[in-house]
Amino acid sequence: MSSAPATSDLVSLTIDGVPLQVRKGTLLVEATKMVKQEIPVYCYHTKLGPAGLCRVCLVEVEGTPKLQIGCNTPVAEGMVVRTRGENVEKGRAMVLELLLVNHPLDCPICDKGGECDLQDYAIAYGRGSSDLADPKTSKPKAVDLGPTIVLDEERCVVCQRCVRFDDLIVGERQLVLKDRGHRNMIATATGDPYRHNFTGNVTELCPVGALTSKTYRFKSRPWDLRRTETSCTQCSVGCRMNIDLRHGNVLRTMSVEGDDAVSDWWLCDRGRYNIGYIDSPERIKQPLLRRDGTFVQIGWDDAFALWAKAIRSAIDAGGPERVAAIGGGRLTNEEAYLLARTMRSLGVKNLDWRAGRQRQATPGSSGGTLLDLERAGAIVTIGESPAELAPVMDLRVRKAVRHGARLIRVAAQEAPPSMPFQDVADVAAAAAAIPANVTRVALIWDGVDNALAHAAFAALSREGRTLLTYIAGEQGNARGAEAMGMLPFAGPGYHVADAGHDFDGICDAALSGKIETLAIFGANPVLNSADGAHVRAALQAIPFLVVTELFMTETAKLASLVLPAAGAFEKSGSMVNLAGDVLPTSAALAPPDGVLGDFEIVVGLARALEIELPDSDEIERATIAAAAALPVGIAFGDERFAGAAKKDLSGEGLRLHVLHHAFAGGGTLAHDERIAALQPEPTAAFAAADADRLGIRAGDRIDLVGAGGTIGDLLAERRDTLAPGNVAFVGLRSGSAANEIAVGSRVRVENIRHSDVPVEA
Amino acid sequence: MPVVKVLTDGIGEVDLTDIAIYRQRDGYRQWERAVRELQSSEVLDIAERSGLRGRGGAGFPTGKKWSFLPAGDKPRYLVCNCDEAEPGTFKDHMLLERAPHLVLEGILLGTYGIGSHHAFIYIRGEFKRGYEIFSRALEAARAAGFVGKNLFGTGYDLEVTIHRGAGAYICGEETALLNSLEGKRGEPRLKPPFPAIAGLYGMPTVVNNVETLAYLVPILRNGPEWFAAVGTERSKGYKIISISGHVRKPGNYEVPLGTTVRELIEIAGGLREGRTLRAVQPGGGSSACIFEEHLDLPYDYENMAKAGSMLGSGAFVVFDDTTDFVKCAFNLVRFFAHESCGQCTPCREGGHWLETVLHRFVEGRGLASDLAMMRRVSSTITGLNLCALGDSIEPFLKSVLQRFPEQFEARVLREVASA
Repeated sequence: MSSAPATSDLVSLTIDGVPLQVRKGTLLVEATKMVKQEIPVYCYHTKLGPAGLCRVCLVEVEGTPKLQIGCNTPVAEGMVVRTRGENVEKGRAMVLELLLVNHPLDCPICDKGGECDLQDYAIAYGRGSSDLADPKTSKPKAVDLGPTIVLDEERCVVCQRCVRFDDLIVGERQLVLKDRGHRNMIATATGDPYRHNFTGNVTELCPVGALTSKTYRFKSRPWDLRRTETSCTQCSVGCRMNIDLRHGNVLRTMSVEGDDAVSDWWLCDRGRYNIGYIDSPERIKQPLLRRDGTFVQIGWDDAFALWAKAIRSAIDAGGPERVAAIGGGRLTNEEAYLLARTMRSLGVKNLDWRAGRQRQATPGSSGGTLLDLERAGAIVTIGESPAELAPVMDLRVRKAVRHGARLIRVAAQEAPPSMPFQDVADVAAAAAAIPANVTRVALIWDGVDNALAHAAFAALSREGRTLLTYIAGEQGNARGAEAMGMLPFAGPGYHVADAGHDFDGICDAALSGKIETLAIFGANPVLNSADGAHVRAALQAIPFLVVTELFMTETAKLASLVLPAAGAFEKSGSMVNLAGDVLPTSAALAPPDGVLGDFEIVVGLARALEIELPDSDEIERATIAAAAALPVGIAFGDERFAGAAKKDLSGEGLRLHVLHHAFAGGGTLAHDERIAALQPEPTAAFAAADADRLGIRAGDRIDLVGAGGTIGDLLAERRDTLAPGNVAFVGLRSGSAANEIAVGSRVRVENIRHSDVPVEA
Repeated sequence: MPVVKVLTDGIGEVDLTDIAIYRQRDGYRQWERAVRELQSSEVLDIAERSGLRGRGGAGFPTGKKWSFLPAGDKPRYLVCNCDEAEPGTFKDHMLLERAPHLVLEGILLGTYGIGSHHAFIYIRGEFKRGYEIFSRALEAARAAGFVGKNLFGTGYDLEVTIHRGAGAYICGEETALLNSLEGKRGEPRLKPPFPAIAGLYGMPTVVNNVETLAYLVPILRNGPEWFAAVGTERSKGYKIISISGHVRKPGNYEVPLGTTVRELIEIAGGLREGRTLRAVQPGGGSSACIFEEHLDLPYDYENMAKAGSMLGSGAFVVFDDTTDFVKCAFNLVRFFAHESCGQCTPCREGGHWLETVLHRFVEGRGLASDLAMMRRVSSTITGLNLCALGDSIEPFLKSVLQRFPEQFEARVLREVASA
């Protein structure tokens, strides 16, 4: 919107007597909004475009004998449009009467009641009575469409928004309209459960109560909900999100209409549905101190005093090198800033946010926006694709591909996407696969292998071409943590600081007895790092380990002191998403009694240490400045972010890869029973050649055995995209021993149990 | 009697499915002449000057339709619509089975006329015999060098693809046909864009009826003036009329447009002994009835429209005084409701509702209030639909409700009506 459109692009018309000028090609349904009039719609949706199915958006255009549909009629010079009047009202009332002829009118028990377009338009434009004298058609109700959605066919108005969403936006084409005429029904094409990472959006697209979320059915009436707008922190996209509470309980989350820059109006199912952990009875609600091998509850004042004492004595005995802190991507900018500042004021340099596999979050000065991404002519992914790491970002990738962009994946191990793609072996092949006329290329990296990223950037850079970079990594506010100075070599705003140990270095130092105390905020490295056994050993070697957590995670179980922390919806602040947008997060509810936010936890520690803290205005100014700081001088795949040289992982057997899945992991997923069905079954994927050699069929059960341990009872799958010699594990969850075997190390297959019915690969 | 033999020439007399016999009767001569001697634009010009209008129902001028195709390098396609399913229409079916080479030659000429190299024929699923006959005809024509690469040594290539439908009436609607041809659900597309701009596989496409394309052969043979000299001012040439209902000799009759309604009834043998005419549905199931007062109207596009009906595909159904118009109305509305694709609200819900109500009338359980409801609903939904199917529900129902209200009133439950 930076410049006004040229006059030649504008069309003058009159809507309801109001003259206006709009861009050529604008549809009447959109132009009408500019004169503050409403054209009712069911099938039309700004993000889906016109379909012409519901016929409720009727308008009168002077000089045209029939009523026109506002959704598919573009503006024309001199057009005179009426959105009201006898003809329009008669036509609309007819359509509404017809929509209600076979509608069950079960509004009193319908979840949509109170926010239903059929209710609203029937009242605004309907007749108020009907000549219907015959029984209504009955259709299936409470149809279990899949793990997330229930369908009521009788309420459906056949607008096909859900079907079109699945086709046009997601590209999955699972939902279809079956049968014909008044017997038609929404169903999945194959009869299989409706399942992908974006299913929940259809419940919002549905203008009536036909599609509802299993997690929200019969839970509330919309007028009883209290809404807070915030940003989703489940991944690094940071989608705008509404949180709806009733009586202090989070009942549902909804997308934010109009959020074009970040979410494009969508939410992924992880962000939408993983909210049940908030009121889990397993939340830790009081500080816990390890004493004689078990945890005992203590008060906050004692906790802060013990912690401060541990830090003081460590520094007194061996200097600040013996102290370390990890502040993961679960922290807000303010929390990360305050933690880094507090630690640095003690001289502590062993600071990092990275306790998983991701090494870098800032894509450097070539970082692009999400809107840039959908306009790319070619998209290259290196490492894992954003499909599971940043699902809503992947919808932008799909949009770009739909608009003709070429999708090129380098050495991909995950399953093929539901859209055209090209798999290439290395970055040179990727560079060669980009058509010569493409001037805007997007490069997406998972933030793990810096050398690969650096090479890809160099290979794809070309005169006359814009190369936009993105890092879609593991943690929500990873980019914010980096900007706030939670790096061993940089302070707030990426200003170079005296270098300390990164997380790997902290672990190594711990194993040689050089770390007295480590505080881990918002991270679970025992489960999420590449080598869980190594991390476990390191953490066990630290005399005083402090973990702030919501739950007794694999990492928290090793701590000397566990501090109960607030969850994402329980604290306010800001985050920096993967595209560098600074986004506000707003508390929708207070944390449970006895639980503090990480910010208050740092404040409590600082007070116990008698460190003077900045006032809130200064924190705000500093975090805004740091978040807005340009990552000048940081390269894409910067070697300063790279980890230490990998351990020698050569040897016999298949190389183990652990792939992300939106619903695989511990923490909030492990404590949300309502969405247990969405968690993937632990699966091992093999290249066809390896599967044949080992006698493994799809559907078999197998064990993977490595130096560190065994991952038992995995479902075997064959995957063409895998290079022979590799095995890909999907389905990390709390309690599984997956990362007891180091990622990248060698494993062998044991205990093959053939299934009676082979599953199609 | 004005019955002529143009397209129907030889049908019933010789075996026109035999390519040798068809060629003896000048078959494929016009095709060879067009490819060897005429430019595409000349064929289009001939079609335009002949005044030929679409014989599938809408009556759109054929040459004009072709001229809407944008210039450019994009592939363009001709699709022959042989999904004939309008209640009362059975002419394309006959041409396909009895004169397949004539149909094919027409398709070839039309394809050449729009400068295309690929034609498709979409054959209604039930026309299995016609499909087999046409398939053999296509192979024979290919073997004779009339279809394929480098035709007549000119370097011009033309391929014809046969596609069978699955029996949905809606697939006769040109955009539903294109969806079905692409392997998608057979339901009409939202227009614009029109097929001339974005049709089959998104490319510029012309969809023409079987009979329309077949007439190109005699028009090229005899010249556009020959065709334009026949008929009325804006309805030129000949037309095959499928006459059915209460006549003694139902069948397909080829006549000049402008033959009167009375003559058409007489051509088909007239009414049965002792019967009187009640109504004629002159343009298939989608058209309104005309009555005695219209008997001397010339049967052409304009006069049928003026009488409140339409010529449509030339399905001419005659009703005498034994007719139960309630049952007829129910039968037609049930047909349209059953054939509705269900995409758009007025057709899907309105058709089904009217069918339900009419079913009660057939059973003698009508309500007095239903009569007004049927008029209101059927007239209001007309014009609100995504395609023409929903607009086809009203005409017959409205015309018989108006003309024969006593037949409907007789089926109203008296006790309820007075309550």
